[in-house]
Amino acid sequence: MKRAVLIFVIAALVLITCGLLFFSGESGIKPVELLQFGVIILVIAFALFFGYKRFSSAKSGQPVEDELSKKVLQKAAAFSFYISLYLWVAIIYISDKVKLESHSLIGAGVLGMAVIYAICWVVINFTGIKNE
Amino acid sequence: MNNRIKEYRARFNLTQDDLAKRVNVRRETVVFLEKNKYNPSLKLAYDIAKVFKTTIEEIFIFDN
Repeated sequence: MKRAVLIFVIAALVLITCGLLFFSGESGIKPVELLQFGVIILVIAFALFFGYKRFSSAKSGQPVEDELSKKVLQKAAAFSFYISLYLWVAIIYISDKVKLESHSLIGAGVLGMAVIYAICWVVINFTGIKNE
Repeated sequence: MNNRIKEYRARFNLTQDDLAKRVNVRRETVVFLEKNKYNPSLKLAYDIAKVFKTTIEEIFIFDN
């Protein structure tokens, strides 16, 4: 229950920080920044869904975590780490071709890793873990 | 591995939620077990068999 509340608090803090960062600029919002903001919103939506699931489980008297949810988390983490290696290789390749600031590249990499993790979790959560 | 959880659950007149609470897992885990999308740990298999007052072999059918 505490961890579910913590997820909501962190998601709210990230959203507020991003909102301040993107909408406080005087030069207006660039299309790239809008894309970054969209990806952050997607990641936050995933975190909120995750937090809601934990919260509703705790509310209905069920455990927030059990052996299946732990295995799904572990498998999603392992898969996303593996796929992220290719993402970083792609980012290194792109950084050679396109001139981008280092903080933009690192930001894109971190956001990409979060999106990959969310996709892996959704896929494994729906397909299940068989014969392991 | 196949299982007869759904059949036994109906026999004991238990909902997925009831079974989940009795074996201390989430309802989704029971759903995945019934759809054969997840093979439980030995402990969970034992707990489920205990709820249905039978043996693990009776509930879970191993086929190679």
